[in-house]
Amino acid sequence: MSVLVLALCIEAKDTGEILDHRSDLITIDTLESFGDLERPEVIFLHDLHTEALEKSNKDCRTCHLSEKSSKDRLSLKFKRLEDTDKKQVMDVYHAECMGCHREMSASGQTSGPIEVCGECHKENTRLISARLPMAFDKSLHFRHTEANKDEKTNKGNCALCHHEYDKTAKKLFYAKDKEGSCRYCHMKETQDNRMSIRLASHSGCIDCHKKAVAEKKKTGPINCAGCHDAKMQQEIEKIAEVPRLERKQPDVVLIQANNQKTKKDDRMSGMNPVPFDHKAHEGYNDTCRVCHHASLDSCSKKCHTPTGSKEGNYVNFESAMHQKGNKKSCLGCHEINKNQPNCAACHSLNAGNPMIETSCKICHMKPLLKNSPATPMDEKLMAEMLLKSRKVASSTYKDEDIPDKVIIKELAEEYEPVELPHGKIINTLLNNIKNNTLAGYFHAEKGTVCRSCHHNSPLDPKPPRCGSCHGKPFDQGNIFRPGIKGAYHQQCNRCHQELNIEKPTSTGCTDCHKTKKK
Amino acid sequence: MPISRRKFLGWMGAAAGLSTAFGSPVHAAANKHFTGYPDSLGILFDSMLCIGCRKCEAGCNKVNELPPPDQPFDDLTVLSKKRRTDTKTFTVVNRYDHPQGTPPPLFRKIQCNHCLEPACASACFVKAFTKTKQGSVVYDASVCVGCRYCMIACPFEIPTYEYDKALAPRIRKCTMCHPRVIEGKLPGCVEICPNEALSFGKRKDLIKIARERIRKYPDRYEDHIYGEHEMGGTSWLYLSGVPFKALEMREDLGVTPAPELTAGALSVVPMVAGLWPVLLTGLYAVSKRKEKIAKLEQQQAVASTLKKANAEAEAKLSNALANARKEKDAAIKREIKKALEEAKQTQETEGS
Repeated sequence: MSVLVLALCIEAKDTGEILDHRSDLITIDTLESFGDLERPEVIFLHDLHTEALEKSNKDCRTCHLSEKSSKDRLSLKFKRLEDTDKKQVMDVYHAECMGCHREMSASGQTSGPIEVCGECHKENTRLISARLPMAFDKSLHFRHTEANKDEKTNKGNCALCHHEYDKTAKKLFYAKDKEGSCRYCHMKETQDNRMSIRLASHSGCIDCHKKAVAEKKKTGPINCAGCHDAKMQQEIEKIAEVPRLERKQPDVVLIQANNQKTKKDDRMSGMNPVPFDHKAHEGYNDTCRVCHHASLDSCSKKCHTPTGSKEGNYVNFESAMHQKGNKKSCLGCHEINKNQPNCAACHSLNAGNPMIETSCKICHMKPLLKNSPATPMDEKLMAEMLLKSRKVASSTYKDEDIPDKVIIKELAEEYEPVELPHGKIINTLLNNIKNNTLAGYFHAEKGTVCRSCHHNSPLDPKPPRCGSCHGKPFDQGNIFRPGIKGAYHQQCNRCHQELNIEKPTSTGCTDCHKTKKK
Repeated sequence: MPISRRKFLGWMGAAAGLSTAFGSPVHAAANKHFTGYPDSLGILFDSMLCIGCRKCEAGCNKVNELPPPDQPFDDLTVLSKKRRTDTKTFTVVNRYDHPQGTPPPLFRKIQCNHCLEPACASACFVKAFTKTKQGSVVYDASVCVGCRYCMIACPFEIPTYEYDKALAPRIRKCTMCHPRVIEGKLPGCVEICPNEALSFGKRKDLIKIARERIRKYPDRYEDHIYGEHEMGGTSWLYLSGVPFKALEMREDLGVTPAPELTAGALSVVPMVAGLWPVLLTGLYAVSKRKEKIAKLEQQQAVASTLKKANAEAEAKLSNALANARKEKDAAIKREIKKALEEAKQTQETEGS
């Protein structure tokens, strides 16, 4: 099977010739499955060939045969349905490619190589694959649903793409409200009769697009570049406000580890449940797969059980929800979110990344009812109530309790004391997270925002001075604590760097420090 | 058989290797892993905290009383050039583009790394360099002969030479402010750094600090402390957010201290130095003796030749004399005969 090259790097040092970046490169190395290649593999430009065929009024069937299962479905292989043996496959390529090239040149058209082996089997083709993976996001999904609506019912025709496999009948069938991502079944490689995602998407998408072209309807691309070229991808129409995808998914969920009510294994049951706003999170992400990475079933039922199971790769429920650096977990995604400048301004500071003792309680809320909910309906109700009871606003102390200016004079030596615009700094920080719901949950407590700088100090409108802890640098008894000068500069510089504040610059001493008059 | 210098040193190296392997451990110290003086001091440079203000350069210049720089220290345009240390500059800060392009540029401070087992010291045959127990590698100009082997030996290309001085040129490099440190003061560059991008303390504590930063910010830092093991470890340590190669720091040095690499060959040096006089004296004696014999032989030859020549001459003379005598006798006889015949003739004419 010819394989698309993801990154074909060809060195261009010797000649300095300009390399061609293309998104339609196909490496024909089918014979590799029968043993070592005798000649270099052939780099085939798919779009170049489809364009040439179009000019002479030929279509895909010139190269692709119909599958046995359906006449409308074309095999992705060249002029054959199966890779039988080395000789036969080789003969197919040689006879068919060169045959067509000969025919074309006989009729006076520009055509590909005939007979000279090295013209196709080139060591160095000076071509670079610029193929990008194609993402099928919410916007595209919505546009496909709209375009394929049933005329009578005015409802989406989901069965066009979504299907399940009936093992006993060995047939595909459509199951309503069971739709999921193609990738849940179609993996990277073909397994038995289950096509790889690459095959599935190319035959599925292109077949449908072709049909629409025949019917002269507006449709998606049928060439390589249309989906895989960087420029073309940017030209794909985007819907700004995608309406919610309807699949009978819940609006809110009460996430709790002891969902299964197994009395024996209640190690996690000590933790309070988490009310989860599913609907809101749908809006934050481009695909369901971001969280539901393997299926749309419950996370904890089969895979991420409280103690972990083989199906879940032994990632237990706690890890699945809290694993850091992993976008699939709640905490992981929230942590990654903190890398955006407005958050990183404080959270990237040496000290400003505290996991305060109250953090857990912000998600794990105390149930409002005495008895744990018995039915799914109760659970939903409780989740809704809990979500409503949450405070969602970053706040801090009253203006009159916050000093507007702070004079730092401990270190004044070469320069005058520094006048710190304390009030302005707090306003900026609060303004930056004003519309951030996630921040709203975690900064609702007064004094939390203060902790960006006044870290380790109690939540109090009058935190201790920096100099109460930071003194002489490189204290033997406290090797990790910076000295007072380092503490100030590190804190200010880092925050300014994250927020891309142009002035004061980190190297412009006099931007902050006035030179002392002599 | 001609013996090249290279071959000779090779044999000696092999012999030294064998002697350290099987012999007494007198010189074996170089082959043992030396972990540095306990509680020796060092400096940790954190490139993620360095803002490129050149204050360290200014501080260094001031405390070492170095000549004023070509461009003032508040001129940050020099950062765009790749500079190196010289006899008037013990430290420089260079700017490097972030490998990922857009993030802010990166800075790196360059100065002597004060190796735990310094290559310069091992290459110096007059012991002008000393690794102090405080951690610094200090230089003693009074014994230096100016061979500049230290400059070739240093893998970081740090020692510089005062080529412009006709009288008593010195090797110049960072001293890790040894005189200040023993007084309990901070090194000049560390003291002035506003952002605490330079941390000063016990080397083992600095490693702890570096590890803690890597642990706390795994995304910010490369999981590597440069200088912890490079060249057997250095007193200066480095943290970076990008591979150290991007800061043009050598990653090919390995973890073996320089002296260990050269121990075999260098241990021969004293041997060579000790053997040369004996060898040369021997050679001199041999050639002297040869000359003496030759002279004697020559004298003998001359004498015998002379003798032979004398004898020959004498024989010739006696021959000549004999001949002369013979000829004389013959001549006399001839004259007598002639006279007798003349007398006879006269008598006959008178008689007739």
